[in-house]
Amino acid sequence: MSQTATALIAEQWAVGVFVLAVLTLCVFTAGVASLLGGRSWGRAKSLPFESGVVGAGSARQRFSVKFYLVAMLFVIFDIEAVFLFGWAVAVREVGWSGFWGAAVFILILLAGLIYDSRVGALDWAPRRRPPGPAT
Amino acid sequence: MTLTMTHLMALLPLIVVCATAITVMLGIAWRRHHGGTAAVTVIGIVLTLAMLLPIWTMAPVEVPLLVVDGLALFAGAMILISSLTCAALAYVYLDNYPGPREEFYLLLLCAAAGGMVLAASRHLATLFVGLELLSMPLYGMLAYAFSERRSLEAGIKYFILSAAATAFLLFGMALLYAQVGRLDLPAVAAVLGERPTAWGLAGIGLLLVGLGFKLSIVPFHLWTPDVYEGAPGPAATFLASASKVAVFVVLLRLVLSTPAFQDDWLRGVLAVLALAGMLVGNLLALVQSNLKRLLGYSSIAHFGYLLVALVVGDGLATETSGVYLLTYLVTTLGAFGVVTLLSSSYSGEDTAALHHYRGLFWRRPYLTAVLTVSLLSLAGIPFTAGFIGKFYIIALGVEAERWWLVGGIIVGSAIGLYYYLRVMVTLYLVEPGMRRRDAPRDWGGRAGGVVVLGLALLVVMLGVYPAPMIEWVRLVEHITVR
Repeated sequence: MSQTATALIAEQWAVGVFVLAVLTLCVFTAGVASLLGGRSWGRAKSLPFESGVVGAGSARQRFSVKFYLVAMLFVIFDIEAVFLFGWAVAVREVGWSGFWGAAVFILILLAGLIYDSRVGALDWAPRRRPPGPAT
Repeated sequence: MTLTMTHLMALLPLIVVCATAITVMLGIAWRRHHGGTAAVTVIGIVLTLAMLLPIWTMAPVEVPLLVVDGLALFAGAMILISSLTCAALAYVYLDNYPGPREEFYLLLLCAAAGGMVLAASRHLATLFVGLELLSMPLYGMLAYAFSERRSLEAGIKYFILSAAATAFLLFGMALLYAQVGRLDLPAVAAVLGERPTAWGLAGIGLLLVGLGFKLSIVPFHLWTPDVYEGAPGPAATFLASASKVAVFVVLLRLVLSTPAFQDDWLRGVLAVLALAGMLVGNLLALVQSNLKRLLGYSSIAHFGYLLVALVVGDGLATETSGVYLLTYLVTTLGAFGVVTLLSSSYSGEDTAALHHYRGLFWRRPYLTAVLTVSLLSLAGIPFTAGFIGKFYIIALGVEAERWWLVGGIIVGSAIGLYYYLRVMVTLYLVEPGMRRRDAPRDWGGRAGGVVVLGLALLVVMLGVYPAPMIEWVRLVEHITVR
């Protein structure tokens, strides 16, 4: 056991030193700054610093939840489009089986798009109500 | 490698489930119709179940990412059966739900496909994709009644904790990859060998954390009662049955195929987790006054029992896990089915507080009989399916001379009997409940009712005549790739 422990230490000591160095650096910078740095208090000191300009308005603005939905849909379709790049660089090598695989993938995406547009997920404005549960 | 017809045939069940999901999605886009959507879902699942039969003869089939062997088919069949039950229950449950109802079936089918991928994975990539495809729709299902505070809380709680567990899982995979340089499980198992290095051990440990969270093994169990309590009935049913079965099967595959799990240290960890699960689950279930929370804690205890099979890891371990999983699945589906049926005609929280169940026998005798049989089976009383499972586990523990674990099972079962009997006494009390809640008058004729009655019958039949089930599980073990 002690032999394996020695071997383990010989193998992994660099990682240990790294972790220790990271911790030391953090403690050192925070500690030295708190010991040597000056302090000052004042009313303006507790305001959020925004490039020297006095902040205006509340940070708690309300956005329509629609934006999140659109952003999410964008990310989903964007990521799935990225997969097609992988096919594009290998289009000759993978041949027809690759073509049919990509075709199935794109058709599933298309089905998702049709679904999204039909349930009203792509409508920006809240004007038109999405088709609710029929009957 | 090229994909031959055999490979395609073996993957056909998975393809059909995915195709059904897309059909349901397009169906919703075309026209919303609750009955039609449920019918398409049920037809798709039944078709897939029928398709599993011819594949038994050609298993095991391996493709680079998936392996269709006995264990995968066994888990696939169990996942599909519980999805079928959930679909039937959801049809009753969602009947007077005010919001959109059809999407539930879409989520259910996606989760079922994820479970099947997970159970058949032989590559860390498919393991991850399967686990996420199983979990992502579950977030939506748990928070389906989003106007309900508890349901929303359950969904978000499961989402955040599950994401944290996934981070552990991914980090574990990264450590294994750093050690091994490969991602397919056979190569990982071979390179790790009997005595894994510190990094390999850390990777396996982190994988165990990620999977243990989904199985609610004890230090990672805190979400279970809250999520079970808040989730809508059919979603809780799926979470308690199909999701756990799929994750346990993949854990079983990992333990059986990786010689590193024979390491004494890892076995010791598993044994401690098992013992902690049995004791914590059963002791905390004692103080519950909510049936869904009680079932949550009891599932923690049951997975403590099941871990014994992983601790032993050879001999009858696969057969024991198979039998126990099957009996647990049938029983849990029955118990949650009754809760769902009782909640189906009410808006707001599900009927889960025990005082709603007071004197239920005098109003709904057959439904009460189903719940009684399920609870007896969970307690492991003879002539129910649960007894066969518990018998296997104790036999396995005695055979391997794991006396602490056997002692834990016996103490846990004794405590368990107390709280299961407490619920049963409530069912047969004469005085009426504080607030009357009842199943719909025609519950026996509805899809969910028929399924629940069938499950109760199955629990008793498996308890009285378990030979076909044991034969089946032996066949599963026979065609499983090691």
